[in-house]
Amino acid sequence: MAGKEDFWGIPVSLQRPQKPAIKSVPLKTVTVRATPAVLILLSLTLMVLHRAGTLPVERLRTAVMDVTAPVLAAVSAPVEGLVDNISGVASLQDLKAENARLRAENARLQKWYEAALEMKAENESFRQLLNVKADPAMSFVTARVVSDAGGTFVKSVLLPVGARDHVQRDSAVLSGQGLVGRVVEVGADASRVLLITDLNSDIPVIVQGTRIKAILAGKNGDLMKLERLPPDSGMTVGTQVATSGDGGQLPAGLPVGTIVSVSAQGVWVKPLADLDRLVYVQVVNAALNPALATGDIAPQDGQ
Amino acid sequence: MMTSEEGWTQFLGTVGRWGLALAALAALLLLSAVPLDISGFAGVRPFFALMAVYYWSILSTAPPPGVFAFGLVLDLLSGYPPGMTALLLVAAQAVTARNRKFLLGQPFLVIWAGFAVEALAAGAVQWLLFSLLALARMPLLPVLIAAALSALLFPLSVLPLAAVYRALSDRPEPP
Repeated sequence: MAGKEDFWGIPVSLQRPQKPAIKSVPLKTVTVRATPAVLILLSLTLMVLHRAGTLPVERLRTAVMDVTAPVLAAVSAPVEGLVDNISGVASLQDLKAENARLRAENARLQKWYEAALEMKAENESFRQLLNVKADPAMSFVTARVVSDAGGTFVKSVLLPVGARDHVQRDSAVLSGQGLVGRVVEVGADASRVLLITDLNSDIPVIVQGTRIKAILAGKNGDLMKLERLPPDSGMTVGTQVATSGDGGQLPAGLPVGTIVSVSAQGVWVKPLADLDRLVYVQVVNAALNPALATGDIAPQDGQ
Repeated sequence: MMTSEEGWTQFLGTVGRWGLALAALAALLLLSAVPLDISGFAGVRPFFALMAVYYWSILSTAPPPGVFAFGLVLDLLSGYPPGMTALLLVAAQAVTARNRKFLLGQPFLVIWAGFAVEALAAGAVQWLLFSLLALARMPLLPVLIAAALSALLFPLSVLPLAAVYRALSDRPEPP
C-alpha cells in the first residue's frame, strides 16, 4: 500500500515534519536559559546605581574586606617570603659588598641622627620663643599590604588594619619614600587605600620652592597630572611636589612626587613611592582640624 | 537499603567535595588578590577567575547564580564597581555553555584558542565599561597585556583545574 499522500499527491513520508505551531517549553528550561540574561541585567543595574551613588555598597564592601583581609594577610606573608627567598639566593654573592655598604651608610646616618636631634631641640626652643602654634602631633599605624586586586582599572590596596586600630577615613598613607594614597573605606579590621595614581584621586599639593598650589590628579597610569596650575607657572623638571594640606584631608608637607615632564600636554609627576611593589605602609592618623575640612579647596588659577 | 557505614562514607564524600570546591574557590580568590611583589604585575594581573569559569563550564554546567556571587565578591574585594566582574564571568559562562557541545569534542589547541578569544573579549568589555563609567578613555594597553598573559597561562592552570574537577565528579577523564 502506498504511503499517505497530501492534497498535491506528494507522499507525506517525504515531507519535512511540520513543527507544531506552539512549541511547549518546560518552565524550568525557560528559567535556566533566562538566568544569565537576568544576572547580566542585574550586574549592569548594580554598576549604574553605584555610579549614581545610590547604592549603599560601602558596608557590604567593608564586610567582605573584614572577612577576607585576615586570610589574605595569612597567605601574602609566605608568598612574599617565597619570592624573597628566590631573589635572596640570587643575591647571596652580593651580600658581603652590601654589608660593607650598609655599615658605611649606617655610620653616615648616625651623624645625621645626632644632627637631627640637635636641630629638633633648637627648633623647639625657637618655637617656644616665637609662641608658634605647632601642627597637631601625628600618630602612625604600620601595616602590610595584603591585596592589590584592583589591577588594571582601579589603583587601590587593602590593609589588614581598620577602625579597631584607629584608622580613619581620609587618613594619609605613606611608604618610606612618600605619599601612597588615602584611606577611602574603613572596616573593623581592614581598610582600603586609594592610590594617588587612581583616576579618582585628586590631591591638593604645593610645588616646592614656589608657593604655587595645584591639584595632583591620578590618571590610572604610572604618572599623575598637575591640574589647575596658574598660567605661565614656569614648572621645571626635577622639582618636588608635596601635600599642601588644603581641604584639611591630608596633613601638609608630605612628599608626593617629582615633576618629570613639562609640555603642552601638561605637567606630569612621578610618585616618589614605588606603587607597584608596596609591602609595608604607614597610615597617618593626624588629628586634623575639622574647621578646615569644611573649607573650599581653593585652586590657585585665578578662577 | 544503605547501611549506616555506607551513609557515613557518602556523607564524608559530600563534605569533602564541598570542602574541595570551597578551597578551589578560595585559591582562585587569593590568586586574584594577593600581591606578588613583581614590579608591574598588579596592573596586568591575568584573569584567573575567567580561566576557571571557562574550563569548568566546558566540563559541566556551573550554576550561573554561583558564578555571579563569586564575581560580586571579587568586585567588592578589589574595589571595582559592584557587578563588573560578576557580569564578565556570567557572560563568559553563558557563551561557553552555548558552545559546550562543540568544544567538548575538540583538541586542546581549539579549547585554548577559544579561551584566548574569550579573554580578549572580556578585556575589551571591561575596558569599555570602565571608560563609560568614568566618562574618560582608559588606557587600553594594560588590559590587552592582561588578556595576553591570561591566554599564555591558560594551559598551566588547566592541570589544577582538571584535577579539582576529577575529584569533584566521579566522572571519567576530562578532555
